[in-house]
Amino acid sequence: MSTQTQLAERNPVAVARHGDTQAQKGPTIVPAVDIYEDAHGITLWADLPGVSRDRLNVHVQDGNLFIEGEASIDTPDGLRLHHAEIREPRFARAFSLSADFDISKIDANLNDGVLKLSIPRREEARPRRIEVSVG
Amino acid sequence: MSDLLFNTSLLDEVDRFQRQMSSLFSGQPSSIRASRLSTFPQINLGSTDDSVEIVAFAPGIDAAKLELTVDKGLLTISGERARAEPPSEGRSYAQERFEGTFRRAIELPRDADPDNVKARYANGCLTISVGKRETSRPRTIAIQ
Repeated sequence: MSTQTQLAERNPVAVARHGDTQAQKGPTIVPAVDIYEDAHGITLWADLPGVSRDRLNVHVQDGNLFIEGEASIDTPDGLRLHHAEIREPRFARAFSLSADFDISKIDANLNDGVLKLSIPRREEARPRRIEVSVG
Repeated sequence: MSDLLFNTSLLDEVDRFQRQMSSLFSGQPSSIRASRLSTFPQINLGSTDDSVEIVAFAPGIDAAKLELTVDKGLLTISGERARAEPPSEGRSYAQERFEGTFRRAIELPRDADPDNVKARYANGCLTISVGKRETSRPRTIAIQ
């Protein structure tokens, strides 16, 4: 049996436009993610190159997890762009979270442009083995 | 603000459409060093009067595992990105991030000086600055 279940779909060339605030700011890039789940909760990695900690915004609202970041790169003055594979400096992606997760204990860590999010399950939502007694 | 990023315009939309079309017709011959759209790392390239600036968007790489070479006007970025440690047991829902070895080559303009290359890795971006030769810099010629 395969244990690989792809639930999140991403088009690498997709540029999302959603929400009023996003539309005002222009298009954004959908960052690539890896998502794993184990008994403790979900671990998510997202590629956000060029995004520093102060320009990253991770928040949960109405059961949705939002990851938004803006890349900034120091470049000399008078630069003329010749070739660009990354055009929009803004990254945005949203996921819906079920009530099983404890949003007050989400742990976020940004390192070398990779965001690692640990989203723990609520204690009562953790899977447990029930002993069957023979009687 | 950084010009390497802020250049969105209608032309970009056209360009994106073109890229999407070209990905549909992939398999057709193109430039020998051009590669498919979803390459890693993605690269932006620009220039100023006295340097060529290259940014490679390569998050989550050990800087010691990045290799940068210049050979006969060809700048090559290569390295390896390890997969994020998955939990020992559990399910995977998405694996979109690149993993494995990569290599990208960039043809430098003829006036680039291979002895004057500076590279810096910060926030998952490799910024490379290649100086231009003194003789190629623009200059005004005084009229007698």
